[in-house]
Amino acid sequence: MKTLAVVVTTPPYSHLTITALTYVEAALVAGINVIGVFFYQDGAMHANKNISIASDEYQAIEHWQRLHQQYQLPLHICITAAEKRGIACDVIDNNQINKAFTVSGLGELVELTTKASRLVQF
Amino acid sequence: MTSIELATSVVLSKECGLAIINSKAPFSSTYGKDALDVALIFGSFEQKVSLFFQGDGVYQLIANQDGRLVSIKDYLKTFSAFEFYDIEDIYVCQQSLVNRQLDEAFHINDVQVLTSIEFGLALNRHQHILRF
Repeated sequence: MKTLAVVVTTPPYSHLTITALTYVEAALVAGINVIGVFFYQDGAMHANKNISIASDEYQAIEHWQRLHQQYQLPLHICITAAEKRGIACDVIDNNQINKAFTVSGLGELVELTTKASRLVQF
Repeated sequence: MTSIELATSVVLSKECGLAIINSKAPFSSTYGKDALDVALIFGSFEQKVSLFFQGDGVYQLIANQDGRLVSIKDYLKTFSAFEFYDIEDIYVCQQSLVNRQLDEAFHINDVQVLTSIEFGLALNRHQHILRF
């Protein structure tokens, strides 16, 4: 079976993230096995619970959360990228990390890449 | 060989590895360091990874640079550890060097200078591509 892994490097307020979300959702709707999304560089900011985007703008984080709940889509954030951007990852149950995201390392990216028949970066 | 034959032989010899394209200058952003971190992790998991330098990314290979002069940790020094991580395929785009009037004077050995066509063919041998 064909598998897809996605790398997101853009922050939640980037319009490019909307493209990534639309792409991933289209893949899920089409029944493609999306084995995970890895958030690297500014993409790690998606896991920050304290980000608040004006209500009349696109809510990227809410959409990732929805895909996670609806399709059990694994969302991994890179711990180094997250900590560099002020998201404390050392304490579990802290008030900063959005529960839909799993704190992972670059090793997870290796895993996703080796398992995926296709890797797409945004 | 015609270009079609060439393309066919490339498809047939498709390796299963990751290509990382470096397209940004070394000290104005963290892209280069972020790409290096990915390369080293793939290397330490014994996954095949090749490095491609293109556009302003070629500046990452030029000798006699020191990030410390502009208060930046000099991650370029870590390039000399590629051998240790079994990262052996390092390609640079010749046209990008020419456009920037840069000599082929690199701070690491075994860098392969490729024409645009060779560069594209080498990229095509990889299963996955990440660009930084």
